[in-house]
Amino acid sequence: MIGKMLGAGARADAWSTRSDRERWPEQQQVEIRPGSALAGWLIVIGLGLAGGALLGIAVYRGAPLWIAVVFLLGAGVGAAAYGTEVYRFYRRLETRDPGERRLPALAGDLSSLQAAFEHLGAGDLVRAVENTRALPERVAAIFTAAGRALASLAEQIQDSSIEVASSADEVNQIASDLASGSSEQAASVVEITAAMEELARTASQIAANATRQAALAERAEASGDAGSAAVDEAVTGVEEVQKRISGIASRADNLGTRSKEIYRVLDLITEIADETHILSLNAAIEGAAAGADGRRFAVVAEEVRRLAHRSQESVDSVRNLLDEFASSIRATIVATEEGSKEASRVLERSRSAATAIGALRAAAGDTARVARQISLATQQQNAASDEVVMTLREVSQVVQRMTGGLKQLSGTADRLNRLGLTIQLLAQSFHLGSPRSLKHLVEDWASQLEQTKSSGDMQRVLDGLIDKTPFIEMAYFVDTSGYTVALSFHQEESAGRKLLGAEGAREIDMTRRPWYRAVARERRTTLTSPYQSIQSGEPCFTVAAPVRRGSQREFAGVLGIDVNINGWMRI
Amino acid sequence: MSPDAPQKDPSSGAAPRAAGSHLLVRAGDYVCALPLTSVRRVVRALPIHPLPGSTAELKGLSEFGGEPLPVLDLARLIAAPPGANPAFPVTIVAWAGPAEAREMVGLSADAALEVVDVPLSSVVGGDGAFVLGEASVGGEIVRVLDLEALGRAL
Repeated sequence: MIGKMLGAGARADAWSTRSDRERWPEQQQVEIRPGSALAGWLIVIGLGLAGGALLGIAVYRGAPLWIAVVFLLGAGVGAAAYGTEVYRFYRRLETRDPGERRLPALAGDLSSLQAAFEHLGAGDLVRAVENTRALPERVAAIFTAAGRALASLAEQIQDSSIEVASSADEVNQIASDLASGSSEQAASVVEITAAMEELARTASQIAANATRQAALAERAEASGDAGSAAVDEAVTGVEEVQKRISGIASRADNLGTRSKEIYRVLDLITEIADETHILSLNAAIEGAAAGADGRRFAVVAEEVRRLAHRSQESVDSVRNLLDEFASSIRATIVATEEGSKEASRVLERSRSAATAIGALRAAAGDTARVARQISLATQQQNAASDEVVMTLREVSQVVQRMTGGLKQLSGTADRLNRLGLTIQLLAQSFHLGSPRSLKHLVEDWASQLEQTKSSGDMQRVLDGLIDKTPFIEMAYFVDTSGYTVALSFHQEESAGRKLLGAEGAREIDMTRRPWYRAVARERRTTLTSPYQSIQSGEPCFTVAAPVRRGSQREFAGVLGIDVNINGWMRI
Repeated sequence: MSPDAPQKDPSSGAAPRAAGSHLLVRAGDYVCALPLTSVRRVVRALPIHPLPGSTAELKGLSEFGGEPLPVLDLARLIAAPPGANPAFPVTIVAWAGPAEAREMVGLSADAALEVVDVPLSSVVGGDGAFVLGEASVGGEIVRVLDLEALGRAL
């Protein structure tokens, strides 16, 4: 913006200098050269003094003398040339007629100058410049330069105000978005705070549960110790039982061995009984062979045979008993073997149980230790959660303050937007030659209306106006009786609204409208203050220009256009 | 010579016979009564050396008193059905054949039971040769054998 202003100023200065140089070169010299000559002399004297001082210092330091001589000669030649030029200038100035150039300005058309100033006072810079054509060239050039500088300034004000309004609108939009985001952030912070509080409560419950679990694990560890001791005792008892079973088995084996010895004794007794039996029979045979003398011997032999028979029967009885005894011993041995195997299995299971109980006890110990660590960690987590909750509450307060600040910023941006719009409307009060000038625009179209022959032609002109300028909601021409001759508007912007068509507008006496009255009174293009459009519901303002007809260019009516502010700002 | 060695009977038929004194022995499933006057000795079953080509009744030769002793299978001689395994088998050394030419033989039996009196009048039946007949002793049927007839049968 500043660059544009400087650029425009520079262009205006360049134009003015070129015009002066082309039209009044002598007067340009009169106004500029005296000051330049004085400065030139001062520079020459200063350079001479400085050069002399430096030359003295150089000579004093041992520099060659011919350098000083050459320098002094050069300075003398330069001073003589400059003095000659100054003398020639003043000689030409003394020989010129001083009133030769002032006469055209004094003989200018005061009425043209008055009209130019009137247009200038009304902000119509285009017509103000146009009215200076009849003035002397110098005055016209000065007036034109001033008008163009003012037009450039007004254009820059328009551009700047549009940028201010646009920027303010963007700031307003961003502030609104940020405020909305801050509100959502505040809500999120509240939710996070609630979640953290819930987390803290959960951490407390976890800590309590971990403490109880640690106590249970410690009791389980103690029970594991007791169980391990009991299992050790059981193992010892089973080992003792196994030893006793082994002792019983050993004794049963011993009894089996003894039984075999008894069987051998019984076999021996049986054999003796058999031999005795045979012996008794042989004795009886011998007794029988001895005849009568052998009868007693035969009787004795018979007794011996019976004794042997009884011995055999006793041996059989003992053998039967011994068989039963041996069977019992074998059953005992089998039972002790099974008991020993069962005791071994019980012992193995007991040892496995002891190992399992040991592992269980170790696991219970680990569980207790881990549970205590969990309890401690969750307590720390609880404390950290409390700190986070406090921090989140502070963040919530900051976010709320930030939301309030953003709302204030949004309000400020909105005011800035309105201010930019106000400046823009003020700048639009100037009629400029720029296409951005609404007065220029509407007067162009008014001049087209002046060329039409019928109301249909006017309607087509207004339709073209609506088609080519999207920020114009409605365009209409009202004649001097207040009758709306032609009216055109954007259909899409009026969708869903009650439209003021041409028929409705013709029922209204437009001569009572402020824009019509202002144009009819001033015969100039005017702008209204912003208002809400009945067509789009958005803010707009009206630019109205007079329409003239006939050779005398009599006032024939008013061309009005309703400018949609939002669309116009986007353009 | 050993007094138990088999020898020719010097009294050949003149020796008094104890009427009815018999030695009961078990052969197979039968109980036999041997006249005690013909029995010389009862010994534990002697070791037998079989003779190839001999009859089934002759089990083989043993040694008794330093002399060879032919041993006969008493169960086969009386055609007794086989009985239980003998717990204490014996060999009966006895005189066989007529009194004037009797010889000492061995009779293998399953057991020697006892000496009983068997009245000859109670002996019934029989083939009139080796098996003199049957008699009831203690309620049990006993086959009464005639060892003199055994020599003739051989």
